[in-house]
Amino acid sequence: MKKKLLSLVLVGAMSTAMLAGCGSSSSSDTTSADTTASDTTSADTAAADTTAATDTASQDTASSDAAASGDNKLTVYAWDASFNIPALQAAADDYKANVDDTFELEIIEQSQSSDVENAITLAGSSGDYSQLPDIVLFQDHYFQQYVSDYPDAWVSVDDADVDWSDFGEEKLSYSTVDGVHYGFPVDNGTVIFAYRVDVLEECGYTIDDMTGITWDDFIAIGEEVYAQTGKYLLSMDGDGNDLIYMMLQAEGGSQFKDGAPYITENEDLVRVCEKIVEMAQKNVLYLANDWSDYVDQTILGDMVAGVMNGNWIIPSIEQVEENSGKWEITSMPTLDGGEGYASNGGSSLYITSNCQNTDLAKKFLAYTFGGSTETYDAALRDGGVITCCISAGESDVYNEGVEYFNDTPIYAQIVEMGSHVQTIEQNDAHYTARTYMAAAIMNAAQGADLMTELATAEENLNFAMGN
Amino acid sequence: MLSRLWLKGALKLSKKNTSVVAKQRRAGWTYLAPATLLIAIMSFWPMIQAFLMSLKTGSSANMQWAEPLFYNYKRILSDKLFIRSVGNTFLYLIIQVPIMLVLAMLLAQMLNNKDLKFKGLFRTCVFLPCATSLVSYSLIFKSMFATNGLVNSVLLNLGIIDTNINFLGTTSTARVIIIIALIWRWTGYNMVFYLAGLQGIEYSVYEAAKIDGANSWQTFWRITVPLLKPTIVMTGVMSINGTLQLFDESVNLTSGGPANSTITMSHYIYQNSFGDFVANFGYASAMSFIVFVMVAVLSAINMKVGDKRD
Amino acid sequence: MTKKGRSNIQRRLIPTYIFLTIVSLISVFPFYWMITAATNTSVEVARGKIVFGTHLIENFTNLLTQQPNLWNALKNSFVYAGVQTIVALLICSLAGYGFELYHDKYKDKLFSVLLLAMMVPQVATMIPLFKMVSKLKLLNTVWAFILPSISTPFLIMMFRQNSRNFPTDIMEAARIDGLSEFKIFFKMYMPVMKATYAAAAVITFMNAWNAYLWPKVVMSDNRAYTMPMLIANLANGYSVDYGVLMLAVLFCSCPTMIIFFILQKQFAEGITGAVK
Repeated sequence: MKKKLLSLVLVGAMSTAMLAGCGSSSSSDTTSADTTASDTTSADTAAADTTAATDTASQDTASSDAAASGDNKLTVYAWDASFNIPALQAAADDYKANVDDTFELEIIEQSQSSDVENAITLAGSSGDYSQLPDIVLFQDHYFQQYVSDYPDAWVSVDDADVDWSDFGEEKLSYSTVDGVHYGFPVDNGTVIFAYRVDVLEECGYTIDDMTGITWDDFIAIGEEVYAQTGKYLLSMDGDGNDLIYMMLQAEGGSQFKDGAPYITENEDLVRVCEKIVEMAQKNVLYLANDWSDYVDQTILGDMVAGVMNGNWIIPSIEQVEENSGKWEITSMPTLDGGEGYASNGGSSLYITSNCQNTDLAKKFLAYTFGGSTETYDAALRDGGVITCCISAGESDVYNEGVEYFNDTPIYAQIVEMGSHVQTIEQNDAHYTARTYMAAAIMNAAQGADLMTELATAEENLNFAMGN
Repeated sequence: MLSRLWLKGALKLSKKNTSVVAKQRRAGWTYLAPATLLIAIMSFWPMIQAFLMSLKTGSSANMQWAEPLFYNYKRILSDKLFIRSVGNTFLYLIIQVPIMLVLAMLLAQMLNNKDLKFKGLFRTCVFLPCATSLVSYSLIFKSMFATNGLVNSVLLNLGIIDTNINFLGTTSTARVIIIIALIWRWTGYNMVFYLAGLQGIEYSVYEAAKIDGANSWQTFWRITVPLLKPTIVMTGVMSINGTLQLFDESVNLTSGGPANSTITMSHYIYQNSFGDFVANFGYASAMSFIVFVMVAVLSAINMKVGDKRD
Repeated sequence: MTKKGRSNIQRRLIPTYIFLTIVSLISVFPFYWMITAATNTSVEVARGKIVFGTHLIENFTNLLTQQPNLWNALKNSFVYAGVQTIVALLICSLAGYGFELYHDKYKDKLFSVLLLAMMVPQVATMIPLFKMVSKLKLLNTVWAFILPSISTPFLIMMFRQNSRNFPTDIMEAARIDGLSEFKIFFKMYMPVMKATYAAAAVITFMNAWNAYLWPKVVMSDNRAYTMPMLIANLANGYSVDYGVLMLAVLFCSCPTMIIFFILQKQFAEGITGAVK
């Protein structure tokens, strides 16, 4: 019985394979009644598919050209269903309602920003751009590198109908190469420092006491908070440590100088690193093992009384419902006192060279992300995406108090802070630098000598950059 | 096209009145043909191209021959992080593979006992880990070994430790956890091969051994192991191959951290082509070929030692 | 055997039972964790709650709103993994059979050469392979998914090694009976090797089902997405809803387990019953 069952399964399996095989092969060759012959055909058709490509004319699913072919349709890659995808949806709805009701935007969800980068890498390496969508959302820090590596992948948007001066200079510096505009800014990476005001109050401090202070003041308060409540005043992903970049940008400094790493000689950078190590050793800062550890354990797990990161971290903070109303935001401390401003993360929309209808793409992006209040209001409401467009940031929605943050108008606050961020030297090796610097901090926090570690990081970074 | 030719050839062969041996030999080659062709096209051809790429430098859209030609290979020798990743990978190999294979063999042996009850249940349970997807598996291990996680609270309550340990944030414990995770996930997988292999041994062989007065230990070493040798060789080659190309665990469990102290070779290669590092396919391909040589040498030793036909 | 003998045997097996129970519990625990997580909210999961909650339905509705593609991705995964399993088993078992039962020194050499194919890290060959598949105009089709993994040295090796114990005398008998070489394969080899076929089917299906890196490269169309790609979409992002994620993971883990449930009898039943 069992034997029969098995042979039945096998026969069924083989005929399926045969059907599948013939389905994609335009000619179904032999129809021999002999079982052995037909069985070999099935195996054979599959083999033939690799060698005889010309046979396989028809295809099972969609056409291999990912870019939309319809007159009023565009495709776009984006990667976060609770953040930038709602923003794109808002823009599509806006354009449809106010400009062209036949317009269609297909959003193809990617798991993370690196998927989009990999798609460009693959297309560029194989010289086949036909897989790319019309538009991609792309991380700001990577864009310069991808323009120099794959210049054929992008389309200039210089002639789009946009008032570029309505955007922050720092933000535009990412998407502009040699004075040519390639991208439309989407989300704003302005750094916020969010504090649990209830915890601060317990220790005798207010949010104003945290504004414009030095990192040394911060460390003193942080020690007190840890001693009294057991909560850290700051946490960070120790593996992708963005603190260094953010703190240095607040000082107006960069880890690069004239395209080369600028680390051990960089006095501000060394001071920033010393502060970070000190914070970690004094239990003011908790260095998490990785990103999910950072979000899940420290933020969702209620381990911290302060969060400093790009404002896109806000939806994560808001996940803990029982802490609603207990948070407020302010600017960053600096080395020598005074309010610090930085930007971390953020992305822009770019048109790819595979786009068949660049005029439509430019019109769509210029109308929506170029400054439409309707798009930006909906993007903020549905996805918490905060605009980089200065005039759009003045709308009513931005000035409303946010319940979770003690009814303070944090969005207007963020847009205002964003206008103070200084432009610093960027480099293709931004994330490589982050990896090595994070390793240096991690080792120093566990007792290694900071200067030796920084020298190693500089050496490794030079090595990776081929210097 | 090719398919028809091949079929015709096959049919012709079976009809022709050649000597029986020649006919059999040809039938043998016919069986191999589709698989061999596919491997040649889908593996060897890309490998050759990857090798050529390893001799080039520059962005992958516009690669130039390296100057000198073996520049990328020379570079590897002075790459401290790559050397560290080699060390890590071999550490995992030496500790994890033997433990896993012995455990898998032991379990297969137990589950093959015809007197055992609830066999199906046990079998399914042991196999279950490799059916869980990578995402859940890494999430589970991460949350179990988190600083405030289950393992810490259990150890704390038992009084074994005084303060919570940051398992994944400390180099030594992070390595141990990767090894534990690998054993947990892949033991059942290897057990399946042993179980399938054990079916090839007729029960009468054991009966005979029993009559001869052999105890179960002797039976295991003198009958099971020699007869299972082909399968053992196979799992050995697979495990060496799998561990030296270890990627997912390093990426998902520790992201190579803390401070790159648990990174594996494949993870580092990936970082050099798609990850955070500056995309450098030439260099990544060169490192891949170093891995290739290591795997090939170790597998060859394994095959030489174990794969002799008696 | 007498009743007493049987209970004696069971008594001697007690340590085995204890050991197997412990191993089973360790193996099953994460699975239990996954099921409970699917019934809890994200914050509860992140804080390590391991008892059942009441948010299953809520998580399910959220999953469907976040990933309306779910059923399509499930279907795609089934089709891709199913086709790959069937085609790969057929081609590789033929090859393994040929390598072992018709072996001569040339074939042994060829086999060693083929083994080399699995030793280069996947990342290195990805770009050349992508170029090839894209030139063949197969992107976003089931063929792009399966072509690189139809013929794997691993499966061939599995069949080759497990054929060592294949009783060659029955082949001779069949030849004398006038069975053609192909018929010997289909009528004698396949049934005898069912344990290996079952194990190979489970492993191949599982690998195909869980494949991520390669499908991600060749499947750029929403409609061609697979389950692991959908889960990756849920698992990354600035904030992750773990309850929803674990429910999706549960969906994704079930098919492999069901296949194992169905096929495990085959590879545990033994050769003795089949050859008679």
